[in-house]
Amino acid sequence: MRRLRSRAFKVGLVLGMVGVALAIKAPQFVSSALNQASNTIVVGGSPSLASRAAKLLAKDFEIEGLTDRTAPPTLAFLDAHRKAGALVVVTQERHQLVVTVYARDLSFVSASELRRDLMPLGFALATSTPETTVARYMNLPIALHGINSKFENSAAADAAHGIAYTLLIFLYVSILLNSQLIMTSVAEEKTSRIAELLIASVNPSALLAGKIGAAAVLAVIQLASWLAVGYVLSLGGGVAKGFAAMLVQAITPLDLAAFIAYFLLGYLQLSTLFAAAASLINRTEDLGSVSGPLVMPVVLAFFLALYALGFPSSTLATVTSFIPIVAPFTMFARIAVSVVPAWQIVISLLINIAAVWAFAILGGKIYRVGMLLYGRPPKLRQILATLRG
Amino acid sequence: MLRVDHVRKSFGTINAVRDVSFSIESGTTFGLLGPNGAGKTTTMRMILGILTPDAGNVSWDGVTIDASLRRRFGYLPEERGLYGKMKVREQIAYFGRLHGLRKPEVSKRTDYWIEHLQLGEYSNRPAAELSKGNQQKVQVACAAVHEPALLVLDEPFSGLDPVNAEMLLGVLRAQQARGTTLVLSSHQMWQLEELCTEFCIIDDGQNRASGTLAQLRAAFPTRVLRVEPASDAARSVLDGLPNARRLGSEDGALDYEVALGTALPDILRRLVSAEAITRFEAIEPSLQDIYLRAIGPAT
Repeated sequence: MRRLRSRAFKVGLVLGMVGVALAIKAPQFVSSALNQASNTIVVGGSPSLASRAAKLLAKDFEIEGLTDRTAPPTLAFLDAHRKAGALVVVTQERHQLVVTVYARDLSFVSASELRRDLMPLGFALATSTPETTVARYMNLPIALHGINSKFENSAAADAAHGIAYTLLIFLYVSILLNSQLIMTSVAEEKTSRIAELLIASVNPSALLAGKIGAAAVLAVIQLASWLAVGYVLSLGGGVAKGFAAMLVQAITPLDLAAFIAYFLLGYLQLSTLFAAAASLINRTEDLGSVSGPLVMPVVLAFFLALYALGFPSSTLATVTSFIPIVAPFTMFARIAVSVVPAWQIVISLLINIAAVWAFAILGGKIYRVGMLLYGRPPKLRQILATLRG
Repeated sequence: MLRVDHVRKSFGTINAVRDVSFSIESGTTFGLLGPNGAGKTTTMRMILGILTPDAGNVSWDGVTIDASLRRRFGYLPEERGLYGKMKVREQIAYFGRLHGLRKPEVSKRTDYWIEHLQLGEYSNRPAAELSKGNQQKVQVACAAVHEPALLVLDEPFSGLDPVNAEMLLGVLRAQQARGTTLVLSSHQMWQLEELCTEFCIIDDGQNRASGTLAQLRAAFPTRVLRVEPASDAARSVLDGLPNARRLGSEDGALDYEVALGTALPDILRRLVSAEAITRFEAIEPSLQDIYLRAIGPAT
């Protein structure tokens, strides 16, 4: 309760919410500002050709005007046309459509978009078939069906990948952040010398379990708040307007259950190890040296999970779904984007629950011994000897 | 009764405690003495259940110490520590709750200790802002807030100025009056002599001597004779005593060490017949003398 009322928790919660809000809303503002410039073009060339091109380009661009200008424009010319991003000049050489683009900023002009929009005109000039007819035939209907797929269509599949990626980042940040908070708390008790008094008052394993459990509750509150803010803000529309729709389309109750389950499993495994490591240090300056070896597997797990998003049925993704510390990330990624056999989920859960238990016993022993060890940091041999004792 | 029965504890190749035994009646105050590294703190940790003995047993009223018993004990470790950012009142209450006190009781007892230790003006300040002496008072409160049956204090007077040392003495006397069993270690022998009814001297992880002060004195092999004036005649009589060792002369008095059991009336008669003496005193060994003899010369 003290941590729930603490300024640090409240500030972290609010900052996280602000961060989520910015992440959702900022691109909307930036994009609209950019689009105003980059999506607005002037079409140049002979009046008839420019007019035909403008009709096709209107699908993806905002046409500010037509001009017979074919020479490179000045910035003042573009500014005078509502700060247009480019002058697209269309000319014909024999039966070939030639497109020349003079852009304010080359990175904002998509050649592939222009090519796709103007291709019917190119075919029309070459074949004397009206571009509207060409455009109709170019719109090739493609039916996508998955074999044993989780999703009905590619849009849902794409949505699921997007959501899974976002949730993986939440998982990664939340697990790492909260595990390191435990570590800092344990280190504080050790370096302030209050550890011995605590261990004399309460069973060390109970003390450790209480710390980790309480922090888990805080972490869940924090995570739920951030996700809720993200969901509510995205309902308002904008660039992330699809987020809410994507959630409904792509995330099933199983996915949510998997997210919660693997968040808890990952957090419990890592926080125990972080706490045990912190109990071995004598100064807070030494925290980095003990946390480094624990952070590396988490970073690796995150990248393996990204791989699993793309290749959920691969051997690497499947095998790592059972390995503790890594499994919370890779198995969740696989569940989010594919149909994972039930037996694999069950076995992964059982292995990781057993790992939580094993880490708790080992971590508890190291914590109990470590909290009373002062002086030179113990070598591994000493720790093992003391644990055996 | 607390019973420590042939406990042993080693850490790798270091034998911290080889064989220590003693028993403490409930309601008494017990002094645990020994040089640095003797095994006092390790023994205390085994009493409190922080460490498990490799051999032997620690029991309270015949029951081996377990988690439920430990909640009835209090501990002031040698290495003091507090949550620096936690307020004094919260901290004392926190330790009360850790030891199983419920809400109305914990507030009442916290208030008692804050008043008793004159911490009123600091009660809502973070512990890190207090002076060392006041922090130690807070630590004492944390150790005793739940009215423990057994209170173990490891070097409680270390670092205290005379005023705060006197305050702590008062606290411990009050605990004695309440019937709390106290176990304390200290290098301040005079404080232990004043407080403790029984002692155990350990060195190199083993018992060297144990018992009440009277028992320890009775077992002490020598006595110091102090004779005034420091005249040649008196010196001559005393030098003639078998196994007597001259310790020196201070303030016009002669100090001689004689064996326990030496016939003191006989010596007195001989001194009186040789010289008019104004003082003849057989000085009982102090706890410090007993301690120094028990642990042997420094190496």
